[in-house]
Amino acid sequence: MISARSKKRLGHAVDFMALTAPAIIVILVFVELPFLMSVAYSFTKWNGLDKVPQFIGLANYRELFTDDPDMAHAFVFTIAFTALMVLLTNVVAMLLAVVLDGGIKGRNVLRAAFYLPNIISLIIIGYVWRFIFSKGFDSFLNATHAGIFGLSWLGDGKLAFFSVLAVSVWQSIGFYLVIYIAGLQTVPRDIIEASLLDGVGSGTRFWRITLPMIMPSVTVCVFYSLSNALKSFDVIFSLTSGGPGTATTSIALDIYKTAFGAGRFGYGSAKSVLLFLLIMVVTVLQVTVFKRREVEA
Amino acid sequence: MSRFASRVLTAAMFVIAAVYLYPLFLVVINSFKTFAEITTNVIALPTRPNLDNFKNAFTLMQYPNLFVNTLLATAIGTSGVVLLSSAAGYKLSRTKTRYSWLVLILCIAPMMIPFQSFMIALVKVARFLHLTKTIYGLGIIYWGLGAPLSLFMYHGFVKTVPKELDECALIDGSSSLRTFFAVIFPILKPVTVSVVVLNAMWMWNDFLLPLLVLSGAKKSQTLQLAAYNFFGQYKIEWHYAMAGVLLTITPAILFYLALQKHIIEGMVSGAVKG
Repeated sequence: MISARSKKRLGHAVDFMALTAPAIIVILVFVELPFLMSVAYSFTKWNGLDKVPQFIGLANYRELFTDDPDMAHAFVFTIAFTALMVLLTNVVAMLLAVVLDGGIKGRNVLRAAFYLPNIISLIIIGYVWRFIFSKGFDSFLNATHAGIFGLSWLGDGKLAFFSVLAVSVWQSIGFYLVIYIAGLQTVPRDIIEASLLDGVGSGTRFWRITLPMIMPSVTVCVFYSLSNALKSFDVIFSLTSGGPGTATTSIALDIYKTAFGAGRFGYGSAKSVLLFLLIMVVTVLQVTVFKRREVEA
Repeated sequence: MSRFASRVLTAAMFVIAAVYLYPLFLVVINSFKTFAEITTNVIALPTRPNLDNFKNAFTLMQYPNLFVNTLLATAIGTSGVVLLSSAAGYKLSRTKTRYSWLVLILCIAPMMIPFQSFMIALVKVARFLHLTKTIYGLGIIYWGLGAPLSLFMYHGFVKTVPKELDECALIDGSSSLRTFFAVIFPILKPVTVSVVVLNAMWMWNDFLLPLLVLSGAKKSQTLQLAAYNFFGQYKIEWHYAMAGVLLTITPAILFYLALQKHIIEGMVSGAVKG
């Protein structure tokens, strides 16, 4: 015999499952299970066709750290790219946000204009800029005779780094701009007015009042720019395909090439575990450090 | 700031914005040119603007088919994410037990896993479930990828909804499921708007998942995949390509112009709460 109490508990459980199970199942099946499988595959040799991957212990990780110049290069590229991305997107976006928040006319039109590239798919952004760098720059050179338009911005490894960087910054600024504007709007007007009455200069006001007040937005923006840059794929894929050679190959692109290009799924999985750990460590550190600097309004 | 300084700053910002969007302006004017015109001069305005490039790109890409496919994947994905994550976010926010806490962690922790860290095995799982090479399959996979962030957003918002509301409905004898859809879901509209905007923009523009899941399926391509095939050719026909770019981005831009306020608010709330 089932007691009334356990019947009620069963009812609660059924109720709970009816609403939560569908979400739990899709998250488990499409994210968590594949992630755990990737971790498991990282200890195997597997070409994607064999029924059973062959267990090889830590051999993939050994190769990853000691015997893979492409991966080492992708790692260096990704770190350099990320450092500059975080710096440039945040500085430029914050600068634009401060200007747009400072009571100039047409603020909403301007915000919409800067946001526009952000709603276009990254893959298209890469192709648009391939057109600009090739055909567009030819015409700019003819019109202005300025030497910089004659350089091989996608064909030279060093220049291609800056091309990828510039396009990525161009595409993403709008996103961070919008978050910074929202952050600036939460700064209490009376504090700003009090500082104006006290005759505080605009530079001091920014560093001493505005910036500390919008630290929560800074934390969020730096977090997103970090994690997006560390896993950047689409723009590079369509703009340079990681070339010339492997000059602009990011870790994410290297994972794709290793697994789906070279058919080394076990080794690619080891790289994907490394990417996960890298992003985890870097972003957790960043959020911890930045959270400490946030002040209460 | 003096009025003069403010005017100068305003003018400067408009000039910067114009330079900023100049590359997109070039795409627009070149989509109306012939191949020869593009080769001689990209900056010049088209001499005889006509719609030939659009007609050709339209048929070459099989645009209507691609449009429907992309819309279908986005609609299936977004509506699924909204339903699954609102229900679970609500229930997890209202239940306070050890297990519900654990379930919440299980559901939102995947926000921290980058897609490239599980895509290899995801393709295998999708193949096993027969979800590859179909638009429906693509839409269903998005449910799992989109749910964690959306669930988290719903979970946070439900805390602000008074508990008395569901208690009243429960006393009336309505089940949890019915209470949720009849009473709670309509109240969650502000988050739903943000969730729809965030997910729809992402799914419409997504490239890597469709590339992995739909490869080899000729009939089931999305707009972004078609753009990749269009540009991936050895000799690019720039006049068609530029028209193709415009055809691909126009729906997203119209969506943006129509819902600008919601999109920007949605992006901000998604980013700040995520």
